[in-house]
Amino acid sequence: MLQLESVTKRYGDLEALHELSLSVQDGEIFGFVGANGAGKTTTMRVVLGVLEADAGTVLWNGTEITFALRRRIGYIPEDRGLYPKMAILAQLTYFARLHGMSRHDARAASTSWLERLGLADRAQSQLQALSHGNQQRVQLAAALVFSPELLVLDEPFAGLDPVAVDAMSDVLRAQANEGRPVVVSSHQLDIVERLCDRVGIINHGQMVATGTVTELTERGPLRFWVDIPAAAPGWYSGIAGVTLVEQDGSRWLLQLADESGEQAVLRAALALGPVHEFRRDRPGLTQLFRDVMTGGAVGE
Amino acid sequence: MNSRTLIRVIAEREFMTRVRSRVFAITTVLTVIAIAGYILLQAFVFNKSTTSLDVGFVGPAQSMAAPVRAEAAGLGVGITVHPYTSLAVGKADVASGALDALVTGSGASTTITVQSTVDGTLQVALNDVAREQVLTQYLTQHALPPSDVESQLAFSVSVNELSPVDAARVEQIVIGLLVAGILYTSLIIYGQLVAAGVIEEKSNRIVEILLATVRPWQLMMGKIIGIGLVALVQIVLVAGVALVVASVTKLVSIPTLSVDVLLGGVGWFVLGYLIYALLFAAAGSMVSRQEDVSSVALPVMLVLVAAWILALTVAAPTPAAVGTTVLSFIPLFTPVIMPIRIAAGVVPFWQVAISVILVIGTIYLFAILAGRIYRNSVLRVGGRVNFGEALGLPPIERGDPSNATM
Repeated sequence: MLQLESVTKRYGDLEALHELSLSVQDGEIFGFVGANGAGKTTTMRVVLGVLEADAGTVLWNGTEITFALRRRIGYIPEDRGLYPKMAILAQLTYFARLHGMSRHDARAASTSWLERLGLADRAQSQLQALSHGNQQRVQLAAALVFSPELLVLDEPFAGLDPVAVDAMSDVLRAQANEGRPVVVSSHQLDIVERLCDRVGIINHGQMVATGTVTELTERGPLRFWVDIPAAAPGWYSGIAGVTLVEQDGSRWLLQLADESGEQAVLRAALALGPVHEFRRDRPGLTQLFRDVMTGGAVGE
Repeated sequence: MNSRTLIRVIAEREFMTRVRSRVFAITTVLTVIAIAGYILLQAFVFNKSTTSLDVGFVGPAQSMAAPVRAEAAGLGVGITVHPYTSLAVGKADVASGALDALVTGSGASTTITVQSTVDGTLQVALNDVAREQVLTQYLTQHALPPSDVESQLAFSVSVNELSPVDAARVEQIVIGLLVAGILYTSLIIYGQLVAAGVIEEKSNRIVEILLATVRPWQLMMGKIIGIGLVALVQIVLVAGVALVVASVTKLVSIPTLSVDVLLGGVGWFVLGYLIYALLFAAAGSMVSRQEDVSSVALPVMLVLVAAWILALTVAAPTPAAVGTTVLSFIPLFTPVIMPIRIAAGVVPFWQVAISVILVIGTIYLFAILAGRIYRNSVLRVGGRVNFGEALGLPPIERGDPSNATM
């Protein structure tokens, strides 16, 4: 399990991270979302030890993370980095050896990863000769080749086509299923929503919301869509705590102060005539993200 | 996994990718060809000047043939005598190049015919012999026995050399300068390769993955050692070819270019390379783009160039002077200047030992400083990292986080 406790990081006067805490369980895929400059990359660099935090701690299975433990992290940095002119098999072998594998094991693991990612026939190609998608696969292989105990992947889906996204997702899910915590950041919220077990939204260096996608969307305001063609304006005004958010023809979006109002609204609607729709309005992750960015409440 | 293993893995990659590269093959082959060509040219020119001359002697001039040959041989020029009876045939042979010179007449009327220019030694020898002929004739006419006069003249001016030049010693200084020159050239070339290699990893951003795995100083040392081994291989190849060609053409005798001079050269290269490669690595880590390499490497290059200029202008002409001695103890100059003093044979062993200790101490100091600069700079992208920040000193003015890594 990976834990960050009250991590603060400053660049001069700019506070990039402010007492940020999060935890990722074994076997869990944690999605990290936030605007550009919100602090996702800084957080990942602090975990990797590439940056030093000004305050706070990073814990690995309950104890403070050390350089030796950090070497067990599979990492894809935001700025991709491999040797453009080096053959990809040699390149992967090199990374495996840097992580302590013997020459023989390193080569075997590299070959097997190239096969798994469909690059076996390109083993002797220079990285720069590969397509962007294939370079991304090599980058993933470089993060996985030494069987890491934790994966930290900064924007692994950036620039991938839908098929490649699925392939990448499958690999990450398999890694999590083997018990590894996986931390992924992405701007592609639909992928995060689909893939991640839990999501953390970061804004201005602070974690503003964490939880499963369902938990997060339920934290939003309690809103219902009601479609009653027979309704007149203000039909709901008799029910305590109900306000109108939006009206679209015969469809009304009402916000309720608490769940006790739910049945009262339904009864009032039925009393007016036939009800064509009565549905809880759940904002998607995208809506939730927008609310956070524009300073809207995410509950609590 | 211990540091030594990590550094070895890093150095191995540096070495293998560079040695296998086309650039390495091309530069090595071109350097070998250039050096071998230069030596062969030297040998050719050198041999040409000792080639014997074919000189024709017509009629009465034939009486001068033997003394001229003896005189010229004493001056280091061999002469093959060709007797001629016909002036026309002789001149034709000079014109065609079969003869280098044709001598006609005798005594004061001696004439030498050449195609364009006369060999200086031949001219001197011929003058002497012709004058002697005239003198002998004159003395005989005045009833003075020439042998008496000759015995009076059988002396030469004695030379009192206040500081005699030892020919072998001159050759040693030339070799010392050669070693220093090769060191200087390789330090410039490989030092810049180190800086470029650091920037390459920085501009590819691969350094971030590497630094999540290895310590900055391990990465730096691996790179320096790997490139240093490439340099050693190249130098040994080139020097080996140069030695073989030189000894085959007998330009330099192997004993003077002895094994200890070569081993010493390799030793000085290792020390000089380490001291400068650390500086070049630190400089390289402070910028992000290859275009900027020359600007940060310039101060280091200037020190190297200064060392070489001092080697040429101070150390080589006056290897025993106090100034040279002082210069040879300045660690950044030692690897270029000390080999010259050693070759000149003017340096006691204890001085060499102390200078080596000073250089090793400086390498240790530079390794700490360069490691610190490297650690503080290598992850910074954008502009050039200023020197204070690179050393990890607190910023004088706070604010602008624009070149911070976000």
